[in-house]
Amino acid sequence: MARKSLLSEVKETQLAIELIEAGARLQVLESETALSRERLLKLYKEVRGESPPKGMLPFSTDWFLTWLPNVHSSLFINIYRYLIKNGNCEGIEGVLKAYKLYQEYLKTNEIEEVLSFTRAWTLVRFFDSKMLETTQCSKCGGHFVVHPDDLHDDYLCGLCHMPSRAGKTKKAKEALEAEQQGVAA
Amino acid sequence: MNIDEMMGEIREVNLSYLMLAQQMLREDKAMASFRLGLSMDVAEVLESLSPAQIIKLARSGMLLSRFRFDDSTILDMLANYTKDRSLAHSHAAILMAGQPAEQLAA
Repeated sequence: MARKSLLSEVKETQLAIELIEAGARLQVLESETALSRERLLKLYKEVRGESPPKGMLPFSTDWFLTWLPNVHSSLFINIYRYLIKNGNCEGIEGVLKAYKLYQEYLKTNEIEEVLSFTRAWTLVRFFDSKMLETTQCSKCGGHFVVHPDDLHDDYLCGLCHMPSRAGKTKKAKEALEAEQQGVAA
Repeated sequence: MNIDEMMGEIREVNLSYLMLAQQMLREDKAMASFRLGLSMDVAEVLESLSPAQIIKLARSGMLLSRFRFDDSTILDMLANYTKDRSLAHSHAAILMAGQPAEQLAA
């Protein structure tokens, strides 16, 4: 058996720690690093202080097409593509950096997280395997996540053409009322 | 504001811009190039500037950073939204991220 290089092991561990901190699940770690399952498990427990969630990863492409997830995943994939094209980033490094930028964006705009790291990673895999693609909105010109088999002539994105009840959650209503009271007071 | 004051202000803005950009690029080049909207070649030029060069550049009398919203749709979304603020920002962010980066002319 070839002896493992210590240096590459340190690098892999570092990457694994970053991924765990970003919220990656064990399956992501297993496919992106060459560390053994036991080590990853131990590492996960040490970083997060709890056992990793069990069960399969979400595997449906439909989730990315529903309204709010579509907005967030479109934003993520646009950032990711920018980094790949202009930032000399590759593979998992690009996903990590794009995710950091996405999270930063959420923080500055006080928006709740919709896309978890594992979802973001799955999204990139779906793009690589051509199970999803983007198309241009005919009104605003932005690139949005769509299913390759659907028809996209005169495609209108979910933000130019909002579904009537989209975003009108109980929470949004309460926030609006609170804001109005704040203005009145 | 007289001309001297204006030139002074422009110099200040240029200086802060160049120094901030350099700091961002040294921390993480890829992420900085996204935030600044620059391509790798421009980013590399900026990163390699010496302090003396930065001062010379800042003093050139022209504003070095350019207005990024040459697209009226994005500008409209950020400045004149009527509905949900976070949605307008999300929409603008998607369009911004899809824009091409500033390149060095070949």
